[in-house]
Amino acid sequence: MTSESRAEVSRIRVWDAPTRLFHWSFAAAFAAAWASGESDRWRDVHVFAGYLILGLLAFRLLWGVAGSRHARFASFAFTWREARDYGLRALSRNAPRFVGHNPAGAWAIFAMLALAAVVSVSGILVLGGEEQQGALSGWGRIATGAMVKELHDGGASLWLLLICVHVGGVVWESLAHRENLARSMVTGYKQGPAAEAAPSFRWFSALALAAAIAAFAHWYFEGYEDRAPGRTYLPFIGRALPQSAAWNAECGSCHLAFHPSLLPARSWQALFAGQDKHFGEVLGLDGATTAELLGFATKTSADAGLSEASFKIARSVPEREAPVRITETGYWKKKHAAIPEATWRRPKVGSRANCAACHLDAERGAFEDAAMHIPD
Amino acid sequence: MKKTLFIMLCLAAALPAAAASPQQILDAYAAEAKKANPAFKSFSAEKGRAFYVAKQGATGRAASCSTCHTEDPKAGGRHAKTGKDIRPLAPSANAERLSDAAKVEKWFGRNCNDVLGRACTAQEKGDFMSYLMSVR
Ligand code: HEC
Ligand code: HEC
Ligand code: HEC
Repeated sequence: MTSESRAEVSRIRVWDAPTRLFHWSFAAAFAAAWASGESDRWRDVHVFAGYLILGLLAFRLLWGVAGSRHARFASFAFTWREARDYGLRALSRNAPRFVGHNPAGAWAIFAMLALAAVVSVSGILVLGGEEQQGALSGWGRIATGAMVKELHDGGASLWLLLICVHVGGVVWESLAHRENLARSMVTGYKQGPAAEAAPSFRWFSALALAAAIAAFAHWYFEGYEDRAPGRTYLPFIGRALPQSAAWNAECGSCHLAFHPSLLPARSWQALFAGQDKHFGEVLGLDGATTAELLGFATKTSADAGLSEASFKIARSVPEREAPVRITETGYWKKKHAAIPEATWRRPKVGSRANCAACHLDAERGAFEDAAMHIPD
Repeated sequence: MKKTLFIMLCLAAALPAAAASPQQILDAYAAEAKKANPAFKSFSAEKGRAFYVAKQGATGRAASCSTCHTEDPKAGGRHAKTGKDIRPLAPSANAERLSDAAKVEKWFGRNCNDVLGRACTAQEKGDFMSYLMSVR
């Protein structure tokens, strides 16, 4: 494996096309995920990048056995001792040159692949737990999801650190051996003895991988392709909140039928007890209707924590209080504190309770980050 | 046996109430108006229209029915306090309207109280309905 033998050195094929495509899509997916991780507005992109990373990882595992010469795991499965020795020699600038991955680089690669698995799987768990969405929607409670998030964030930071080490190593080695390693990951060629060349670039497999990525992106972002004024975001994927036709009919004519998950059960009890002084309106519902509506509201109230918003609203209302306005709960006030007074008075908004003016998915009680749109 | 018969009778009575024609509901208001005022003859769409747009609201109340339902009953309206869209009131524009006696009564109850601060009389309700039904 160590090269620089006395044999004739020429320009040879080293990185097959699928490996190169994997490498750069993996890097791009990481960059996209990192950049979109903080902002709620870009969560669709973040989640897409996460699924892409998981898919690419699966491909790389396959290619580690089925790929061409230098892509196979067996060709760069070095022991820890080899990696350490190589690292120490590289630092003193007398490490041998490798045509394929060197032992230290190989360890960084395996560590990054392992972290990719941890970060993408934990990401799906966070999405399914904390946001009750995605492939594993509703696998656990929101609080559990929030705990997994620590792992997800920690793993991602560690991964970024490893990427820095990896890039540092590439630069160091490129200087040490006077070759551009990054360019060889683009062209696939390096200098080396003909005996170490990969037999082919496997273009057909690369084409299949590219097609799979494109098809996944198209499927995922299809919602944006038929974008309309009322549909500027990706449809909600995951468990929908329970609905009641009676609730929507009785409580949805004067205003949005606020989903019961937005207030704790004691608030709904207070609201129905005061239904003859309902913000200046007399609701005058009969006993049977009241019982039916209150039953539905109690079952799906914020106490049940069926959505991220309901979980956080319930947490923000002190035990002895029973606000009858969602807009008076701590969480709601915190989330909307930055909206200037003038915005609430815009003709298309008019009232703080006009949730649907800014939340395109308010009817379903979802309040997705991507479905927010303040009208002008 | 007696129980089943009773339930069936109840259902039979409830069915037309749930899906009535505007005329049937209007007839019921006519009977009520006659009881309140033996001199009652008929409803007037003209008076209904005047009632619909009249600015009668006291301070702190909606000014008139048209505040939420707009001047044109065929057009969609908007709730004055909450900003929510309201579908048109005229049956010619929205076939669901005036087809459920209990629903009509419920909204007369709420909206008259909103605008007038009191319940509407059967005469006012009938005039109002006649106006809505006359809009083509
Ligand atoms: C007759 C009209 C009407 C009906 C029917 C009605 N409401 Fe309301 N509701 C109002 C008005 C008006 C407000 C005050 C809106 C505002 O301040 O912008 C309000 C406000 C609310 C609020 C507070 C919103 C906030 O967070 O500021 C809640 C919660 C609510 N209603 C629940 C219900 C429920 C539950 C029902 C069904 C049982 C119902 N409403 C039926 C007229 C109505
Ligand atoms: C004027 C537009 C506007 C109205 C009206 C409005 N919201 Fe919001 N809401 C926003 C904006 C903007 C945000 C994002 C704030 C942020 O993330 O910093 C938000 C955030 C939220 C969130 C948090 C979402 C998340 O996951 O971060 C919830 C829940 C929410 N709103 C519920 C409501 C409810 C319920 C109502 C009606 C009672 C309502 N909003 C009315 C603009 C509005
Ligand atoms: C504060 C706003 C508001 C005002 C003012 C108002 N309405 Fe309404 N009205 C509503 C809403 C909301 C509905 C229910 C809409 C729905 O079911 O889609 C409604 C429904 C009705 C219906 C029920 C029609 C049906 O069969 O579905 C009638 C009748 C009615 N209003 C009459 C009146 C009359 C008469 C006045 C004036 C005295 C009036 N409204 C004023 C908001 C208002």
